[in-house]
Amino acid sequence: MGSTPSSALRIRGLSKSYMVGHLRRRPHAALRGLTLDVEQGEVFGYLGPNGSGKTTTLKILMGLVFPDSGEAEILGCPLSDRLWRYRVGYLPEHPYLYDYLTPREYLDYVGRLFGMRADARRRRADALLDRVGLSHARDLALRRFSKGMVQRAGLAQALMNDPEMVFLDEPTSGLDPAGRRLVRDVIVEMKAQGKTVFFSTHILSDAETLCDRVAVLRGGELLATGRLDDILRIDVQHLELLASGLSAEAAEHLPHVRARQSVGERWRLEVEERGLGETIQAITRAGGRVLSVQPIRQSLEEYFLREIGPARAAESGVVD
Amino acid sequence: MKRPAILALPVLALVFWVQVRIDRQLGAARTQQDVLYLWSGPHVRRLFPGFEGLAADLYWLRTVQYFGSSRAFAQDTRMPLLGPLLDITVTLDPRMEVAYRYGAIFLGEPVPLGAGRPREAVALLERGAQALTDNWRIRQDLGFLLFLYLDDYRRAAEVLLEASRRPGAAFWLKNMAADILARGGDRATARQMWRQIYEQSEGVVRANALINLQVLEAFEQADRLTRLVEELTRRHGRRPRSLDEVRASGLLRSPAVDSSGTPFVYDAETGRVRVSPQSILHRPDRESP
Amino acid sequence: MRRVGAVAFNTYRETVRERVLYNLVFFAILMTLSGVLLGQLSIRQDEKIIKDIGLASMDLFGTLIAIFIGVGLVNKEIERRSLYPLLAKPLAREEFFVGKFLGLCFTLLVNVAVMTVGLWLTLAATGRRPDPHLLAAIFPIYLGLMLVVALALVFSTLTSPALAAVCTVGVVLVGRFSDVIRSMREVAPGVPRWMPNGLYYLLPNFRNFDFKDRVVYGDPVSAQTLLWVTAYALLYVAVLILGGLAVFRTRDLQ
Repeated sequence: MGSTPSSALRIRGLSKSYMVGHLRRRPHAALRGLTLDVEQGEVFGYLGPNGSGKTTTLKILMGLVFPDSGEAEILGCPLSDRLWRYRVGYLPEHPYLYDYLTPREYLDYVGRLFGMRADARRRRADALLDRVGLSHARDLALRRFSKGMVQRAGLAQALMNDPEMVFLDEPTSGLDPAGRRLVRDVIVEMKAQGKTVFFSTHILSDAETLCDRVAVLRGGELLATGRLDDILRIDVQHLELLASGLSAEAAEHLPHVRARQSVGERWRLEVEERGLGETIQAITRAGGRVLSVQPIRQSLEEYFLREIGPARAAESGVVD
Repeated sequence: MKRPAILALPVLALVFWVQVRIDRQLGAARTQQDVLYLWSGPHVRRLFPGFEGLAADLYWLRTVQYFGSSRAFAQDTRMPLLGPLLDITVTLDPRMEVAYRYGAIFLGEPVPLGAGRPREAVALLERGAQALTDNWRIRQDLGFLLFLYLDDYRRAAEVLLEASRRPGAAFWLKNMAADILARGGDRATARQMWRQIYEQSEGVVRANALINLQVLEAFEQADRLTRLVEELTRRHGRRPRSLDEVRASGLLRSPAVDSSGTPFVYDAETGRVRVSPQSILHRPDRESP
Repeated sequence: MRRVGAVAFNTYRETVRERVLYNLVFFAILMTLSGVLLGQLSIRQDEKIIKDIGLASMDLFGTLIAIFIGVGLVNKEIERRSLYPLLAKPLAREEFFVGKFLGLCFTLLVNVAVMTVGLWLTLAATGRRPDPHLLAAIFPIYLGLMLVVALALVFSTLTSPALAAVCTVGVVLVGRFSDVIRSMREVAPGVPRWMPNGLYYLLPNFRNFDFKDRVVYGDPVSAQTLLWVTAYALLYVAVLILGGLAVFRTRDLQ
């Protein structure tokens, strides 16, 4: 396949169909000819609604499912190779870790599979559990863990071998805000260390904050790849401003405002970028308060609905 | 419903009462059913692949329990299930010596102590002899059984001789066989046999042997008393009128009772002393002429 | 190899913590103790009954454990997806499969050892000498259990735990009736000639592992016989494991 040294992941023409239905079984295409590249050191977001094929892609990469056609390389090695698995971590969606073990025991087991020595396993396990905030529960059976705690433990096992690259499937699902913050911190840390992160999600804000590039998947097909901003075509000439404490009349008379919308007690204003300063002053003078200013972008859902149209959107709404 | 537990108790009592009525209804029919539903040996053997030994143990247990309870409680003293149960037991485990030996005694001993079917007992022991070709005890028991229950003296002697040739056989078997051939069926040999059975067994079979020894002992005593009567008759020229006379004469020191404590019966006309029909040791079929 | 050992050790840990195991072992020991009681009720059979019950409960409960834990070994992992993070590690599917098998075999070994000690203690408590010759029956029983585990494992890769349990029980029962199968034509003369023999050789013959009666009666068991029986067990297990691997290797884990 001729991968360059800096390529972390190369996918070419990956396809997979499943048979669905009970009496009349017909094939359902989960992935159609997926082609994708991820560079080393990138944080790559894999976006799409439920049922778009994100999890199938990851399962094929990890060897849980066999593709109908196509090939892939991870860190320059073919999928069937064992070697890349020493350098990679994987967190599946809704991970289930043996509930009769404690997280310490589980990580010890994982460490053994990597061939780590006993003392190294112990140290690494304790350090990781500390990092994911589970030190207080490290000798508690996983059976007693909340969903968020299991997710954190799952993250720990993905990092046990100090991988160069991690594949995370919906890593923030089931986490409280502190947990989501943790995942984001870990991803940022890994990027700072020059490592590669490939994570799938349907939560746009996570992708926004973290990703260098994204791929957007719908109905098993790649819709677009690139920077999120590029894909969602942000309008750079206007900004979105949230303000509170404004009367309807005051909002009507603000300068440089292209559109205004009341959201409860607040106002959502679309403001020309070059007149932003004046608008803010006007708001303050009217007794209001500026809550936030951010670029205008459409939501992912709006993007999908627009790109595909409601009919196909309904068709692709199969449960993952 | 305030307290379901309390309501449960009287309902449970009703269950017991209904069970009693069912037992009364079906009681007679049940034994008949049992015989019908008890399968033959080979069929039962099919049911327990790999567990035949344990199954044999359990069927032997059942046989012992059945024998015990039939003796004590059953209406039908012929013990119809005994044969099938033993058949199943030895089919499951052809090497279970105790089933052949004890089972034969259960079968052969006359009613009410046993099932009173000596020919079946013989068949069982013959089966055992075939299965356990080097076993002298089974052949010994077969010889005893032929002698004691069937009065087949010639065959008994043959079998005892065979037994004496098996490894580890008791040394006296050959002599006993010779005695039988010489004297036919006599009480001394019978006593020897019951003595052997008594010593070699336990539990109900041993108790049974003891009773049989006491029966023979009672016959002996009766004969001895008869001889005393004859002696007294010779001395006095006339028959004594009762056994008290014999006692009074000093010829008899101890009371004239058998080992069950029942006094002997004296017929003043014939001068014969017999075991009383009231005694448990009474055996009309075995009295010598 | 170390990875197989890691999976085996974890499987042992997993099965040892299953409550059903303790219930069954408890009942097995209870059965053995009941042998003491039964011996009192019977005539002249107390030692034999204790040995018979002890060996029978090892066989029976060991088989139940092998089936009921064995059928869940692999497909539970697939259903609950606990397998997913593990297969991403440098753990081959074959290593996982064999490790699971060895782990349960080890658990059974521990169980059989515990029950053997229980039997010896029961014998000692009733004044009998613990009889080392019993091992000549216990070892083949264990071989049979390994075969049951392999069967359960193979069925568990093919179907749900419930159905796998039914199939395994079925095959084990038929395997115990191997002599009936062989003489099938006595009962059903219409059966083609190749069928009884074919089935007899194809199906696992559990009668090969039944030395209980012989050992309880004190008959010697030749080392050569045991060797052949061991070879049979290992070869049949190998066939099953290879078959199971063939299915498991290419299966999509949904």
